[in-house]
Amino acid sequence: MNKIELLAPAKDLAKAKIAIMYGADAVYVGGKSFSLRSRASNFDNESLKEICGFAKSYGRKVFVTVNIVFHDDDYKGIMDYLKYLEEIGVDAIIISSLALIPIVKKVAPKLECHISTQLSSLNSASVEAMKEFGADRVVLAREASMDQIKQIASKSSIPLEVFIHGGMCSNFSGRCVLSNRMTLRDANRGGCAHSCRWKYHLFDGDEIISNPNCLMSMSSKDLRASAYVEEMIRSGVASLKIEGRMKSEYYIGQVVKTYRRMIDEIYANGGLSPERLAYYDEELTKAENRPADDGFLSGECDSSKHLYGINGAGVTHDYVAYIHSYEPTRSIALIEVKNIFHRGDELEVFGPDIDNLRFKADNIYDYDWNDVELANKPTQLLYVRMPFKVSQGCMIRKVNR
Amino acid sequence: MELLVTLRKKQLLEKLLPLVDGVIAGSLFTSSYDSSIEDIEIICNYIKTRGKKVYIVMDDFVSEDELPDLYYYFRVISKLDVDGIYFHDFGIYDIARKDDMVSKLIYDGKTVLCNALDTAFLLKRGIDSVVLSRELTLEEITNIVKANPKQVDLQIFGHIRLSYSKRKFLKNYFNEINREYDYLNKETMSLVEEQRDYRLPIIENDHGTYIYSDYVFEMFNEINDLKKYLKRGIIDTLFIDDSTVMEVCRDYRRISNENKEFLKQNLLQSHPDNYSSGYLYQRTNITKDE
Repeated sequence: MNKIELLAPAKDLAKAKIAIMYGADAVYVGGKSFSLRSRASNFDNESLKEICGFAKSYGRKVFVTVNIVFHDDDYKGIMDYLKYLEEIGVDAIIISSLALIPIVKKVAPKLECHISTQLSSLNSASVEAMKEFGADRVVLAREASMDQIKQIASKSSIPLEVFIHGGMCSNFSGRCVLSNRMTLRDANRGGCAHSCRWKYHLFDGDEIISNPNCLMSMSSKDLRASAYVEEMIRSGVASLKIEGRMKSEYYIGQVVKTYRRMIDEIYANGGLSPERLAYYDEELTKAENRPADDGFLSGECDSSKHLYGINGAGVTHDYVAYIHSYEPTRSIALIEVKNIFHRGDELEVFGPDIDNLRFKADNIYDYDWNDVELANKPTQLLYVRMPFKVSQGCMIRKVNR
Repeated sequence: MELLVTLRKKQLLEKLLPLVDGVIAGSLFTSSYDSSIEDIEIICNYIKTRGKKVYIVMDDFVSEDELPDLYYYFRVISKLDVDGIYFHDFGIYDIARKDDMVSKLIYDGKTVLCNALDTAFLLKRGIDSVVLSRELTLEEITNIVKANPKQVDLQIFGHIRLSYSKRKFLKNYFNEINREYDYLNKETMSLVEEQRDYRLPIIENDHGTYIYSDYVFEMFNEINDLKKYLKRGIIDTLFIDDSTVMEVCRDYRRISNENKEFLKQNLLQSHPDNYSSGYLYQRTNITKDE
């Protein structure tokens, strides 16, 4: 049996490399055109080429999102783009335009076509239709329960991809144009304003029936499906997908690493004990900045799975530095400051091959080797003495959360 | 162009039929007007004996658990003398393919069918027609229908669906605020965003929650130039009062370049509402950076 794929998002080259270093089997990224998430600093052609080379050197895959809902004008340049993606070694494109399938088969036949969740495939008959259309893989709608996923997987003759972590559309993906109406930003062409997360008065006729202290919102909690990973592996799903092309490198590193370790442990030990699952859950909470639950996996989404009164968004300041290099002779790491920390703070390092090693930041120096008391300038490069070996790509966070 | 109207009340059939070419009836797998097989059979016979066409809409997404019901329902419906089935979930396409019924299908992707290539792709599979998304400009619509003459349907009147969720937003909200309220299938409820002043109709049923445009989309000025290319024009009656429905059906039936302005003004006076041409003249491709 093939090992299940862990698929991670990346906003830019640096984050894609983090995802691969931290254990993703494949990354999905967006180009400058044809991709949702317009605010993500999407990849230009050169960056796409670089990430393909980087991924191949690790034996990993690259998928490119070509998943806007196309209007006629949007197709300009698509043929050349597809040929380019094939030429640089992209493995698959994620699409919502079915018309791209025969085009890809003709002009870039090495590219696989993965059907985006935008097409809301929620049953095995729909998956069969996609197969008949020529699709190589289907990303299931996030509205399927675990039992339904199992049933679909048992009947499907093409690989299935399932979301396991990250933001949830509160409506069926692709079937919400609230943003178009309220901001003229096309939700299906990368402009979603997240109008579902705003607050609304509810009326019946002319009577306001909402509670003024708790207005209505459609905002959903994020998805965290750690408790279902084992079942998904057993169900025969091909790929577990993390959402979040807008997320930070810290989020990507922490979430990818946690699921990587979890999947590997399940394969190695034949399962996961409740204690180990609790450990992994705790690890995932270190990266989250919105409340999360299991979405539709356990069935209907009741009110506990919604966010009322608060948007739920919040930025974590736990992530304090990124490690660029390490000099073992002097036990010194060159770090890039991300968030404030003080000399003497208790910090924790984690990385692709390092599990939460703690140290006290007693020795911090600037570029001229002057002592530093307070690291509070984001992007500033500093030296820190470490009591253990680290490597490029490791990250440092605060311990007292 | 066939003029079709969605049917929300069986009692209206007698009055509506003389004004339109056909009727779109609900099913168990649709958002707004559930109909049992028995209901559909009665409606179908009634319409057919009057020489008009009947279409069934099945525009919900269907979960794996519901598939056996869908198979059964689809096969019973397909034995009736219906002229077409509007579908949204490609699972229905797969069932129809196996039952050799694809030629009866009309794809309504709601928000995701916005170009000529996808339109042609679907038509090439043998389906009868497609309904274009409502987020298109007139120029885009014109190009697509001219490229696929008499193979494209269009919603030409009514509130536009803005969102569709499997979540029960109203049920959950009333639970959250500990209030009991009779909200199911109610057409009188609406949302007003706290920084805005217009009302978005919201309706919830056992399938999920649907939010619609505050405005009533109309294309009195445009339809006459388009109708020779369109296969069907659809008047969606959800949230529209019966009297307006009757007048609008009558108007679309007799509209011409000479009387279109008169008919529109007449409608505005007799049935004032927030009418709009939607996105016909307004692109919605502003991105977050703009």
